[in-house]
Amino acid sequence: MPDAPSSPRHPAPPAQAPAAAAAFYARVDAALADKALHRALSLTTGRLAGGLTSAFAALPDGEALRDAARRIRAHTIAHLDRYLVQFSEQAERRGCQLHWADTAADASRIVVEIAQANGISLAVKSKSMLSEEIELNAAFESAGIRVVETDLGEFVVQVGGDKPSHIIMPIVHRSREYVAALFRDKLGASNTDVADVPAMTAFARRVLRQEFVRAGMGVSGVNLAVADTGSLCLVSNEGNGRLTTTLPRVHVALVGLERIVPTAADLGVVLQLLARSATGQAMPVYTSILTGPRRARVDNGVTGEPDGPDQLHVVIVDNGRSRLLGSDLAEILYCVRCGACLNICPVYRHIGGHAYGGVYPGPVGSVVTPGLMGLDQWSELPHASTLCGACRDVCPVRIDLPHLLLKLRERGVAEDRAPFWLQIGMRVFSAVATRPRLYAWLGRVAALLGAAASRDGWLTRLPGPLSGWTTSRDFPVPAKRSFTDLWREKTAKGRRTL
Amino acid sequence: MTPRERILAAVRDGLLRAELPGASDDRPAYRGLAWNPDGGSLVERFTRALTALTGHVDEAVHPAAIADAIVRIAMLYHATSYLSWDEQELGCLDLVGLLGSRGLRRVTYDLPADPTTRDEAVRALEPVPLGLTGATAALADCGALVLVSGPGRGRLASLLPPVHVALLNPNVLYPSLAALLDARPDLVDQGSSMVIVAGPSRTADIEMTLTHGVHGPKHVHVILTA
Repeated sequence: MPDAPSSPRHPAPPAQAPAAAAAFYARVDAALADKALHRALSLTTGRLAGGLTSAFAALPDGEALRDAARRIRAHTIAHLDRYLVQFSEQAERRGCQLHWADTAADASRIVVEIAQANGISLAVKSKSMLSEEIELNAAFESAGIRVVETDLGEFVVQVGGDKPSHIIMPIVHRSREYVAALFRDKLGASNTDVADVPAMTAFARRVLRQEFVRAGMGVSGVNLAVADTGSLCLVSNEGNGRLTTTLPRVHVALVGLERIVPTAADLGVVLQLLARSATGQAMPVYTSILTGPRRARVDNGVTGEPDGPDQLHVVIVDNGRSRLLGSDLAEILYCVRCGACLNICPVYRHIGGHAYGGVYPGPVGSVVTPGLMGLDQWSELPHASTLCGACRDVCPVRIDLPHLLLKLRERGVAEDRAPFWLQIGMRVFSAVATRPRLYAWLGRVAALLGAAASRDGWLTRLPGPLSGWTTSRDFPVPAKRSFTDLWREKTAKGRRTL
Repeated sequence: MTPRERILAAVRDGLLRAELPGASDDRPAYRGLAWNPDGGSLVERFTRALTALTGHVDEAVHPAAIADAIVRIAMLYHATSYLSWDEQELGCLDLVGLLGSRGLRRVTYDLPADPTTRDEAVRALEPVPLGLTGATAALADCGALVLVSGPGRGRLASLLPPVHVALLNPNVLYPSLAALLDARPDLVDQGSSMVIVAGPSRTADIEMTLTHGVHGPKHVHVILTA
């Protein structure tokens, strides 16, 4: 954690902060005004959160499984250096080619260089948040390599030049009419092709099959890697993850350096929770555990595996994770990216994913984004939470998200990022609250002023910086007589109870 | 310093200061958790779970009956050719011959490493309407098949065609994935791919409308063989 300035006298927020904060509030206002977004959000997040509840109700020992999953993730992160070494050695022993990337730019460059070395002109991609984080598509495009998203939602996002708004449901903010119009305008679909959702899905399958058949490279993320076998685990419901990692001759897997479990048995425990937390399914439709490239024919004539990629490249990405590890936010590295904290979060349910601005939205994103990239551009995110604790209760590895958000708020104050009026205001409040006579006197003044300014027992407009409270709700009028006055009166009469 | 050394040094440095609540030095133990979510035999639970996912479960024990069952399924989808695991991997010898005599032709392949010929080979396999596999294991709690790749056990038979038929010996049923990986962690490393398949390919990306067969098979049929 960066050191706090020694004497915060006249706080001057960083130059970028006001613009970044204004942009954040502009995104929030736009999201709050978007009626279609609200309809989509209430439908999807409600159903996903409900599915999670019933999936766990049907799972005896669900709480014990959560405890076990948390212990596995905590232990792995506490010994991350050892498990990273073991994973990379075991993966190499099985024929994987390992690459290590310090930064997002390094990671993108490595992937593009692998493509160029193999003469690739078309790459297919299965959904990967990490590829968004490293802005891989832009790197491919500037190298003249075409890249096609193959997850249906991500494909719609790519064709429409949009951005995903949910970790596992990228187009919760879009309607079927939008998708139909997009397929007609951009891909030449007929009216029959977009008659209903199954028809649109079948159309996308046909279009994407042609890309899969031609692509020389498949790029995927990794949900979890297994240290003792060098395996990569990827889950998907559509099957695009399997096609991406099977049909093209080169497979490149992007792994965030924290996404490791020690053994296959540990993987089993975490997978028991992942889909239940993400979508309420007992298991995803497809869980692939990939160990090295295909085991091809050997020279003595013994037959090998008939399909699978001939090369498997694993890119281990740091991009701020080791710095996050060395901080009081390290617990966020336990995260397995199920998205449950988004669906349950009252703030996410009102503003959706785009408003957060970063790659990772919701409560987890409000910790990960500033954690990886610093608070300069992201100082508002830790405040985009009511701290209600629903995210902590639903997390399959029990990450204390409200606690981490408070840590970030604390860091913001220590780095002089709090608004000027708030710093002054808190200083005035502490001066008043530590002087009982002044406090009591000001209380009586406030009661008098409040009574004079009130309308039907409510204050509809507060002055100065306090007006923020009353722009969206009324403030109750202070009681005519304070608790301290009442207490003194009662005790003076010799009655100790009220 | 190589990037590997630099990143590992940064991780070790971070670990000196990391706040990691709940972390233990020993690998955590968690044996004794209940892996059996509900009552009934493994076969009953598997059948119930797969049926709920719109999969189909049949039974057939002898090779002739198995061939009959496969032919019935093929006729449903007007299939006349199929991708398949090798006979010995299906656990049913003579099956290819039996199916051939009923008008079902097996398409064999071994993808070449050369880019051009590989593309052509994939293009030729893409229209095959049916895939036939065995099952290395299966999971009762979620109706899933576990398929481990290897010589004679290609990945594409369960992936490329719109219909997937799997022969399952009920003796390889486990209560859940956690139970399987606890009992048989060695399976993970027996081939380059271990895939757990729970029903037909599905998506709900567009307005949460559940749709089957987006990239993988739209129809999954399991034939219990004992």
